[in-house]
Amino acid sequence: MKQTDDSLQERVSHAWRQGAAEMPPSFDRVWQSAGTRYVGARRRYRRVASVAALAAAIVVATSWQTPAHETTYIELAELLESTYWSAPSDVLLPNREFDIYQDMPVLFESTDPAGGALL
Amino acid sequence: MRDSDALENNPHVSRSALEAIHGQVYGWALSRCDFDHATAEDLMQQAYVELLSGSARFNNKSSLKTFVFSVVQNLARSRFRRVTSRLRLVKQYRQESVTDAVEPVVDDGVWRAVRALPARQRDIIELVFCRELTIEQAAAVMGVTTGTGRVHYDRAKKALRTRLRDWAEEE
Repeated sequence: MKQTDDSLQERVSHAWRQGAAEMPPSFDRVWQSAGTRYVGARRRYRRVASVAALAAAIVVATSWQTPAHETTYIELAELLESTYWSAPSDVLLPNREFDIYQDMPVLFESTDPAGGALL
Repeated sequence: MRDSDALENNPHVSRSALEAIHGQVYGWALSRCDFDHATAEDLMQQAYVELLSGSARFNNKSSLKTFVFSVVQNLARSRFRRVTSRLRLVKQYRQESVTDAVEPVVDDGVWRAVRALPARQRDIIELVFCRELTIEQAAAVMGVTTGTGRVHYDRAKKALRTRLRDWAEEE
């Protein structure tokens, strides 16, 4: 079994080498390009970070300069002056200026005493 | 101990150690991107950038080769996940316009049999047979358990033997 594994391995690796046609690019070239990419990425990161820090500093500075909003209370007299009150109008009533006490109801008087009082 | 050419952000990795495994890592990167040399080189650069920046930090828990293979594998995965549709278009265009095709010219039965294997089986066969990793290391690179790695390895060998026998009989 080990022998068949070995022969299979040999055949596969041989075929792979031929098939994949692996010819690696020079290490120095790839390493140098990676280094350039790394430096570029770091520079970009620094630039973005510095812009962000600057923006944050500006926001902090402007928020410091503007005074904090103070809560103010309105004076009571001023408040009362600002409100207006008027008696309800009878303009919308069907009979204007209707006086409910115009005709006073006549109450009959009782003459029957009940316990010393009139009913 | 720190090598003289150790990386600043990755003290356990040295430039010379990377140079020693460069060819094998390139072969692995190549098979990760369907044997496209330009993409493989880009993948290698990306892997080296990860090592230079310390984003991929080697801590001596495995061999450097296994670690770099895993980095390449992860980069390839995330890369293809991110740009699948774009890559499809680019590949289509490249196939039409560029003649430096990397698809093997060799019409070898073994090569065809290997290429016909499912991805996981092909990966483990490549790692064990061609990159000289153990099954444990190969499983670590693939991000599967050793048990799963063994299963893929056995199935791949069986499938290869069967295919090769069938083709031999046909011929």
